[in-house]
Amino acid sequence: MKSEFVFIALPASALIAPSAFAVQYLNVEQAQKAIFPGKSFTAAPVKLTSVQRKAIEQASAVRVLHDEQRVWRVGGGGWFIVDEVVGKHDFITYAVGLNTDGSVKQIEIMDYRETYGGQIRDQKWRAQFVGKTSKSTLKLDSDIKNISGATLSCRHITDGVKRLLAFYEIALKH
Amino acid sequence: MRSRSSIEIHRCRPLLGTFVEIAASGTNPAGLERGIAAAFASVEKVHCLMSYHDPRSDVSRLNREAFPKSVIVHPWTWRVLEAAQQFAQESDGVFDITMARLLASRGYLPRREYRPHNAATWRDIFLRKNCRIFFRRPVIVDLGGIAKGFAVDRAIEVLKDNGVVAGMVNAGGDLRTFGQASQLIHVRHPAEPTRFAGAVRLRERAMATSGIYFERRKHRRNYVGPLLDGRTGRFGRKLISVSVAAAECIVADALTKIVFSLREKAAGLLVRYHADALLLERDGTPSWMFRSSCDTRARTPFD
Repeated sequence: MKSEFVFIALPASALIAPSAFAVQYLNVEQAQKAIFPGKSFTAAPVKLTSVQRKAIEQASAVRVLHDEQRVWRVGGGGWFIVDEVVGKHDFITYAVGLNTDGSVKQIEIMDYRETYGGQIRDQKWRAQFVGKTSKSTLKLDSDIKNISGATLSCRHITDGVKRLLAFYEIALKH
Repeated sequence: MRSRSSIEIHRCRPLLGTFVEIAASGTNPAGLERGIAAAFASVEKVHCLMSYHDPRSDVSRLNREAFPKSVIVHPWTWRVLEAAQQFAQESDGVFDITMARLLASRGYLPRREYRPHNAATWRDIFLRKNCRIFFRRPVIVDLGGIAKGFAVDRAIEVLKDNGVVAGMVNAGGDLRTFGQASQLIHVRHPAEPTRFAGAVRLRERAMATSGIYFERRKHRRNYVGPLLDGRTGRFGRKLISVSVAAAECIVADALTKIVFSLREKAAGLLVRYHADALLLERDGTPSWMFRSSCDTRARTPFD
């Protein structure tokens, strides 16, 4: 079977318009199921004190941007945490499952958004995504599903997980 | 009507230093979830074996110990090293996994305690029987230019073994699709990487793209990126991107680096691997497009 390798150039207008790429993989409930299948979850959000916040920053060498952390206690042991990281070009919501001993069980990306040109640092720009369903988020670039080309590194996620492990030690483990 | 409608499941995890996305479609949601979990497990295994950063990986053990003694590696690591050596030979050293020493010297990789010989090349690596590897002089290797492609191929294999009929694995832009339908793959703009220059249609095929856009940094008044020519040790400077399509992702992954340096001179190698190439200039327009036959029984580095 032959298939022709053809490059389809995008119209110039697509290049001029500011671009944003966004995908929703999982909502909270789906992420819970993906990491801890068949388990029950009890919401246990944590509000950090300034002392805890400083301790986490010191232990992880990563800045804490939010005092509130979305945490769920998992039936039968373990924790489910939803967190977000902001990079120069990316804004990512992800979920981390921790085993009973505080080790990482699994990491799942929930929402991935990238853009170029500074919008990501703008709270308002980010706010437009909050609470969006998969359909409305994908409207941004509905035909763009697969991208070839070096993606951003996942360094911000690595730092985020480091911060969450310190958060576990300081605010969850009793 | 007894046929059930097909659903598609999409997952993404941070692995191999990037974002690995796996999509699978079929009629049985539980089966798809199982297939995706198993596929991620195989990518994770490649990550653990071939990470430059993890001190317990095969790659770290090689860099610490393969000179002056030898090191036994996992058969997967062996296969990737074997393929890397083959591409090195066929490109006359343009593709060279020992150029990690230059990447480390420029800060693209951590330096660690390694003291590589400053003239070390791929010719200093020896693959012996039973997955034993030996370095003739101090060498550091980095499989960053080929392991992602290998991981994608393993994940595709696992999806198929789990009865998934169509899917896609994308490891930070190195991707492979399978199934009846063709898929539209957008290619990033070489100078503005969160925009797209265009798209390519792929069916049962892999594609990888290399460019220096996200990782370039300033060095002596010029921006350079982590792509370099193993023969000269020169870093890539131009804001171009190279995409290569081939049957296997490991081939596409390695060939992009070779085409990045050799451009049109890589045509012979592309023909040998039944690969296609697309070179995008800084303004996003294609300056070179090479099509070879799309015979799916293309030669692989493991033949």
